[in-house]
Amino acid sequence: MQAPAQQCTVAIRGRPGRSFVVIALAVACLVGCDGRDSSTPEATTASDIKVFRYSMGGAPTSLDPVQTRSVYANFVVVNAFDTLYSYKYLARPYRLKPNLATELPEISEDKLTYTIRLKPGVHFIDDPAFPDGIGREVTAADFVYSIKRHFDPAMRPQGAWLWQGRIAGLNEWKAAGSDYAEAAEGLQALDRYTVQIRLTRPYPQLVYTLAMGYSALVPREAVESYGREFAIRPVGSGPFKILSFNTAKVVFARNPRFRSEPVDIWYEGYDPPTQSFTGVERIDGRAPPFLDRLEIDFIPEGSARWSSFTKGDEIQYAGLPDEQVDLVLESKDPVTLKDEYARKYHMRTGLEAGFVFTSFNMMFEEFGYNPDSRRERRNRLLRCAVRKGFDWSQRNESFYMGIARVFPGVIPPAVPEFNADMSDDSIRYDPEGARQLLAEGGWTPENLPVLIYGTVSSVKSRLFYEQFRAWMKIIGYPPEKIVLKRYATFGDITRAWSRSELPFNGKGWLLDFPDAENTLQLFYGPNGSPGSNDANYSNPEYDALYERASVMLPSPERTAIYRRMNQILIDDCITISGMSRVQIMLWHKNIIAMPDSSIVGGFFLRYVDVDTGDPGQAETLE
Amino acid sequence: MEILQYSVRKLIAGIPLVLGVTFISFLLMVYFGPDKTYELLGKNPTPEQIEEVRRELGYDQPFLTRYALYVQEIATLNFGSSESSGELVSSLLARTIPVSIALITPGFVLGNLLGVLFALIAAYHRGSWADKFIMGASAVGMSISFLIAIIAFQIIFSSNFGLGLFPVRGWNVHSFGDYLSYVTVPTLATVFVALGYNTRFYRAVIVEEMTRDHVRTAKAFGTPPARLFYKNILKNSMIPIITRVVFSIPFVVISGSLLIESYFGIPGVGKVTFDAITSGDQPVLKAVVGLTAALFVLAQLLTDILYRAVDPRVSLT
Repeated sequence: MQAPAQQCTVAIRGRPGRSFVVIALAVACLVGCDGRDSSTPEATTASDIKVFRYSMGGAPTSLDPVQTRSVYANFVVVNAFDTLYSYKYLARPYRLKPNLATELPEISEDKLTYTIRLKPGVHFIDDPAFPDGIGREVTAADFVYSIKRHFDPAMRPQGAWLWQGRIAGLNEWKAAGSDYAEAAEGLQALDRYTVQIRLTRPYPQLVYTLAMGYSALVPREAVESYGREFAIRPVGSGPFKILSFNTAKVVFARNPRFRSEPVDIWYEGYDPPTQSFTGVERIDGRAPPFLDRLEIDFIPEGSARWSSFTKGDEIQYAGLPDEQVDLVLESKDPVTLKDEYARKYHMRTGLEAGFVFTSFNMMFEEFGYNPDSRRERRNRLLRCAVRKGFDWSQRNESFYMGIARVFPGVIPPAVPEFNADMSDDSIRYDPEGARQLLAEGGWTPENLPVLIYGTVSSVKSRLFYEQFRAWMKIIGYPPEKIVLKRYATFGDITRAWSRSELPFNGKGWLLDFPDAENTLQLFYGPNGSPGSNDANYSNPEYDALYERASVMLPSPERTAIYRRMNQILIDDCITISGMSRVQIMLWHKNIIAMPDSSIVGGFFLRYVDVDTGDPGQAETLE
Repeated sequence: MEILQYSVRKLIAGIPLVLGVTFISFLLMVYFGPDKTYELLGKNPTPEQIEEVRRELGYDQPFLTRYALYVQEIATLNFGSSESSGELVSSLLARTIPVSIALITPGFVLGNLLGVLFALIAAYHRGSWADKFIMGASAVGMSISFLIAIIAFQIIFSSNFGLGLFPVRGWNVHSFGDYLSYVTVPTLATVFVALGYNTRFYRAVIVEEMTRDHVRTAKAFGTPPARLFYKNILKNSMIPIITRVVFSIPFVVISGSLLIESYFGIPGVGKVTFDAITSGDQPVLKAVVGLTAALFVLAQLLTDILYRAVDPRVSLT
């Protein structure tokens, strides 16, 4: 929308010749005015409204729930749209709770049928896509429509993998042409407020998927009215409505029709010893959202983010950039702020719900499966040697402030199945042991295979490579045999992984939900390339255990299976894993919040409040 | 009439240029650019899903068919929707180009005006301390990377560690006052870096003009220095100055300034273009390339007309 010219006011006096520069500036101002914000009353920046300015390190490109593959998109989308379930604001470990649903689903005895009731009286925001521009009530049919969209190629969906082959009839519905007039057998709106999902086999993670942005409810009228531009003109029933969205920021206003649901902080998992410093008691009994305006700035540049955060009147939340660690922290273990910063900011550390790891691609005969069984055994020794030569501690110190958490295997600390007592042999740096394994396998500098180290083109990636090459040199792997292959973009390296073009894949994985199944599936045989098992690991015992556990509800027995699978991966030296990074989150003292950038993600923003009084008053809250 | 005829001829002659530029650019996009497919796919894609996305993106079509479609899009100025955001490319450019123009114009204008001014001073005092100081300062400006200049100016003028006078980032412009507050630091950074290049270039042009016979003759006739500079030197130096200024305009309009927009959080076309390049958003790239090529043709035409305006010896035939 173009800015109304009168928004920019400038008085130009004097002879025209002398006013050339002023005129040029005025014209520039006129064409560059941000008219969209200014045309709405919510855009007022008066001090009597509550504004929170959050920041993220990246920007979403689409706000359509079917395209929320990136964490940034998912973070933003759950504020504009409603999902059936969400996570308790304060509970750790993470726990699900009903959001648009009235309660957790009724699950049939055979674990195949889920019945979910929606809250009545919930409305979409007012939008020209609706008759008379008034948002209509959200119904069960909207949920059915929203999930079906993932099976309609014209929507360019990204979330079908969550439900394909699991919800009965969806694959067939797609094969028949994705006709929304046709029903899908396993996805029905029984009445205005009741959804029934029928599964082909038990899927205990289903409820988690209904808390993801992918499953957010959208109105068909708006999707059809805006077409592909629905991705930038979201119409949902979430706590906020979007005023503007561009590459630099997204601006929300409170959704005035959002349902009134007072917060019970004890139900939300409030833990006074660890959380009282945030002041969250002050939202108890009040109905969110508490903000009149929410702004999320997308700031990839650490220096700009830090300058803006410390300015005082700009962004009010930021992760601590690596380069500021020594300036800001008093100590790293435990993480504490220096006095001057502790006086101004709240701080908490958050362990990511995910991890970084590097896997061998078993399809490469030089490192993985080989028709020659003797060579295959030697390859295993080679992989184990490389793992022993990998110095996690140094990687942590060099690039993650020394505060990341290194753990054995692929079950990260963020999930309940994590085993803190597991042996740390697989993550212990042992160059002597590595050399012994190479010798045992008959590997010499002459016969070691060339290892192509694929990475995205960036300075940090290059440093990772050089560090790895140095470690390999120590164990006797010639540096000239560790060859860097750079890819211009993440999309390019993703293509290489999907096409099984690289023998050695270093990547990060952020959990979609707090269940180890989400990481163990990374090594499940049928998920091989182009699927997420780009290690192309295929072990009948592992696959059988995965299939057995995948239909089980959480239980000690399932946990034992998960841990057994984890051990198999460690024994086979498939992956060098892993490390969960720790983020240091800082926010201004007048903000009442418990930020979370992992599983709770964007859901926490509805609970953020601003102490509009004297900033000194906020400090006394502690 | 002469100008109109010339313009029509020149615009027609520019068509092969636009076609050539777009063809080569499209070739690079298709065969060397990023593959958007894998950014649009979800986790655990099946080969069928990969094919579906490739079909949606038109990747399954032969190159020449796709290029013919591109030419049609240029002719109709309809580039469809961005593959990333779904926004109509025309809306996207209409939204972001004005912001970039507003952002870059002050720096562009001031950088050139001050460049000419300092070049005149340096040339007039050639060999003196003033000349050496200006040239030295220019070399310093040229030697400092734009990125460092941006960060330094941001810290000095915007952050709490410096003067804290201006916003660190953002573009919340509702009045001329807002505009000045958001554009000042980016402009200072732009001018700081551009001034060195401009001053050295313009000084060289002016010094060359100062050594010409007609200038020496005018001096001998006692022409006052101001008149000598304005009428005999500056006017005759305008040809290279016009060339430099006018040919920079397409970059100002289309490219914006990626670094400025990124570091100051300004939603201009520079960031959009950069994102399109790195993500392989071909509809946006096609529009940007096509528009840039067309603007260059127009810039060429404008340059010729301005040549004629400042130098009557130039003929538009």
